[in-house]
Amino acid sequence: MRKTTRRWLLGTASVGTMLLIVAALPLAYFVWKDRRPNFHDSFARNGQGELRQDGWKSFGGTWQVVDGAMLNISDDRGAKLINGSAKWKNYIVEADIQLLGEAGDAGFVVRTSQEEVGVDAYHGYFAGLRDIDDTLIMGRADYGWHEFQSTPVRYGIRTRTWYHLKVLAYGCTLLASSTTEKGVVTTALIEEPKCLASGRFGLQSYSTGAAWRNVVVRPAAKSDLDAMLQARSLSERERTKSASSAPGSWMDERFFEPIQRELREHKSDLNAKTIADLRLLAPTLSSQVAVHGVVTLVSPMIFIQDSTGGIAIPQAHTGTPVQIGDSVEARGDVEQHEFSSVLRNADVRLLWSHTPAPPVSVTASQAATGAFDAQYVETEGRLVSRQRGGGQSVVLKLDEGSQSFMAIAENPSLAATLNKLQYGSRLRLRGICVTDRSYAQNEMPFALLMRSVDDAEMIEPPPWWNTLHIIELIAGLLGVSFGLHMLFMSVKRSQLHAVIEERERLAMEMHDTLAQSFAGLGYQLEALSSEAPEGSPMRAQLESSVDLVRFGHMEARRNIAALRPGNLEQLGLEKSLEEAARTILQGGPVDLQMAVRGEPRPIPLRIADTLMRIGQEAIANAVQHGRPHTISLRLVYGRSSIKLTVRDDGQGFTTMGERSGFGIRGMKHRADGIAATLRIRSSLSHGTSVAVRAMLPQSILSLWWWQSIRTGRWRHWLHG
Amino acid sequence: MRRRVLTRALVKKAWWLWGGVAGVLCILAAVAALYPRRVPTIAVIPRTCGTYLWEAEHTGVERVAPRYGLSVYWNAPMREDDVQGQIAILDRELKRKVQGVILSPVEALPLRTSVYRALQGGTPVVVVGTDLGLAPAKNLAYVLNDERRGGQLAARRIGLVLGGKGTVAIVGISNQLTSTADRARSLEATLSEEFPQIHVAYRSLALPTVSQEQQVAEKMLAENAGINAIVALTETSTRGAFYALTEFNKAGVIHLVGFDQNMMVPIRTGGLDAVIMQNTNQMGQAAMTLMGEELHGGAKHGYVVLQPLLVTRENLDSSDVNEILNLAWFNP
Repeated sequence: MRKTTRRWLLGTASVGTMLLIVAALPLAYFVWKDRRPNFHDSFARNGQGELRQDGWKSFGGTWQVVDGAMLNISDDRGAKLINGSAKWKNYIVEADIQLLGEAGDAGFVVRTSQEEVGVDAYHGYFAGLRDIDDTLIMGRADYGWHEFQSTPVRYGIRTRTWYHLKVLAYGCTLLASSTTEKGVVTTALIEEPKCLASGRFGLQSYSTGAAWRNVVVRPAAKSDLDAMLQARSLSERERTKSASSAPGSWMDERFFEPIQRELREHKSDLNAKTIADLRLLAPTLSSQVAVHGVVTLVSPMIFIQDSTGGIAIPQAHTGTPVQIGDSVEARGDVEQHEFSSVLRNADVRLLWSHTPAPPVSVTASQAATGAFDAQYVETEGRLVSRQRGGGQSVVLKLDEGSQSFMAIAENPSLAATLNKLQYGSRLRLRGICVTDRSYAQNEMPFALLMRSVDDAEMIEPPPWWNTLHIIELIAGLLGVSFGLHMLFMSVKRSQLHAVIEERERLAMEMHDTLAQSFAGLGYQLEALSSEAPEGSPMRAQLESSVDLVRFGHMEARRNIAALRPGNLEQLGLEKSLEEAARTILQGGPVDLQMAVRGEPRPIPLRIADTLMRIGQEAIANAVQHGRPHTISLRLVYGRSSIKLTVRDDGQGFTTMGERSGFGIRGMKHRADGIAATLRIRSSLSHGTSVAVRAMLPQSILSLWWWQSIRTGRWRHWLHG
Repeated sequence: MRRRVLTRALVKKAWWLWGGVAGVLCILAAVAALYPRRVPTIAVIPRTCGTYLWEAEHTGVERVAPRYGLSVYWNAPMREDDVQGQIAILDRELKRKVQGVILSPVEALPLRTSVYRALQGGTPVVVVGTDLGLAPAKNLAYVLNDERRGGQLAARRIGLVLGGKGTVAIVGISNQLTSTADRARSLEATLSEEFPQIHVAYRSLALPTVSQEQQVAEKMLAENAGINAIVALTETSTRGAFYALTEFNKAGVIHLVGFDQNMMVPIRTGGLDAVIMQNTNQMGQAAMTLMGEELHGGAKHGYVVLQPLLVTRENLDSSDVNEILNLAWFNP
């Protein structure tokens, strides 16, 4: 192999390798990105910020950060809050966890994927604490629940008590441990041959609210697994129910409520009134009553509703904090308001958990009647404006038909979401309908007190025909038109250049062949003529031939001059015309007069070339047929047009009409090509005048105007 | 000749171009070969998930789906009364181009449009549990519980426990589902025909939540002292009535016959006399069989009607009940 070839191959290989490395780097980054599990959230923002900014994504539930803990305050079955990467494989998730209500469970989902809103709508594992049967449970969800283990927790699971829950996923072994505040450890283990190998992690609660704090995710090693396995005592293993006994057993307590337990603890007032009946009580007397209802809002105050209506309970006294969805008994003093009642000094007691009330779908007009005051409703409207309320809250103003209403979000996550909505969007909003003036601000008939991110849904983006979009559209169309125009002009210009070059080539060919042949022929004929006897017919014929050849030679030179436009672009039209005229008239007795009026300026090549050609033709015709003494060229630059006039004082001709010569037809044809007007005036003994007037394109005019303004020339026009 | 030479030169000089094209084609072929073929998916959307009534259907559909080479997408609203949630899931799955839908409508009328659109789009639908009002046709079949039989079973149980004489309250009457309306009609018809001395003294409409049902039952108990038995026509009203009876210390004193199997423990512990179970496991199997046959071109359109089962303390542990409540759907 030759040395140069070898060097070339070596260089090519080096460059190729470098290119490959450069191309592979982003790919490698994409593949390896987010592979290492590493996460910590102490929820220190105390209600500020948005869940999504921290990577959390909710699927059901009502999530908010309170006092350094992430809370789901709803009793939704299977509410999830997901974070992390789908590429995470071996990792440990741990946090402190607390069940806020009874008859449910809460914990972690690990190695999850394809999460959706739904009871068990994900692929992944769950490990958590369940208070129905006081167990640490582990299982797998594949859009359906399969429980592998439920390990009894010594001393039971208590609501409003912190437990430390740790879940390890390593290979196909999943291990969970819970630790009470007194240090009692319970562990559960599952090993599944066909396990899910990777996935995100998340928080999940089922039929109860729950709180998580100090959520930490870190990579898991074999040593972590061994350490957790060693901590798993024999007694715990014995207490663990076998995995095979749990699935398929219909006595699985997961599907039943702890009826007897709840009944023992929550006897209710049998004389409770319906909320609608409170409206029938005497408005002037203070009555203490009991009502039953489902909690629909807990902040800024508690709202409950039953099948007959809703009621607000400001400053409620609650033994056990209640959550949205709890069925409660409220006892207090009734105060009649305009459209609904309010319960003052009320004690609120939990009766049952997880019976969330669905929203009533109403139109804004229906809500504006006050018939749904204090009730959980769903309505639609178009976002008109947005403003900040007190603290972190956001207040939306919406229009729907003839009604306007407000939507108020105090939940920071919801407020952050609402801040991103575009004006003009059509929204479906859920919340407590309140007609109280303190919320509706005496401007609107009602306001919606919204609860969570799920209460706002955009059902239609803003219409595209807003002012900004229309301006953008017009600007875009103008831009495209201008671009197309420029492209068209560029193509035309190229075509013209090609034609001019071809003419140049033809002229050179003619010069090198025809003109030189004429010169040689003339020389030969003159030689023959000089040798012929003086006065002989031959000499006369030869001299006549010499004249003919001379005339032919002149014609050829003139045509060559006509074909060669010279540097029209460089010299400009007036100089090119003058030069062409002088070439044509060279050696003759004709006097040339040149005049220019107006401000000479660049004009499109197509127009300049056409004027040039017409001018040449007119001069040539005058010389050939008119025998003039003087030819005058006049070029007038108008504001929107340019006019060329070629006038001679020759013998003129009578108008031939349709039978005009080839030269005149050619001039007309050229003038038509640029939409110019051609006027030829001639009379016998009074010479001929050829005038051509062409309109200038707008862009040239604009430029000219701009130059005129810039140079101050406009002052001259004003002063005539 | 000149053209041929030019062509050869082009081919020779552009070898890298042809090589690149060939390489890309090879890569595409390899990816296509390695890419796993998607198993046809059937969206099974019950009224809700995670309850005995509907998880049994999950077991049923999962049992049959592999026979037809189908996979199951199983999801539903978190609440049994969430009509909009169910419509949203159905519409989303239709957009995902599932091969078929097995649907148990939360309510008949609001779901009719979505089902009609699915049928118009060529997606086969099997409706489970209630008649939507759309006539069975190509791509549409029904798997129903024999509600008439359920009403008869409840009436005869009431007749038996009351000795053919007494006063009854019927709670949970719903017109949103034809199935529940059929239950009520059949119950009253059987009572009047076979037990003329049993009178229906109170009727109440179905409500969406247990607490509301409980409230209605409490009011009924407070105002109707002579009630001897309650028939609750829905799962929610069964719970509400049971809670109310327990609060009034009337559990076991006033007989309660409920429908749908989400509350079975009180049958054993007392307070709930009987439950009329839907065989949702068999309904799931029948629905998936119809779907599989539809997709394989051999469908029988129309109605498949399955018999309900009366569950009392006597047959609570029988194999029939255990089979219906089998939740071993999981197939890792």
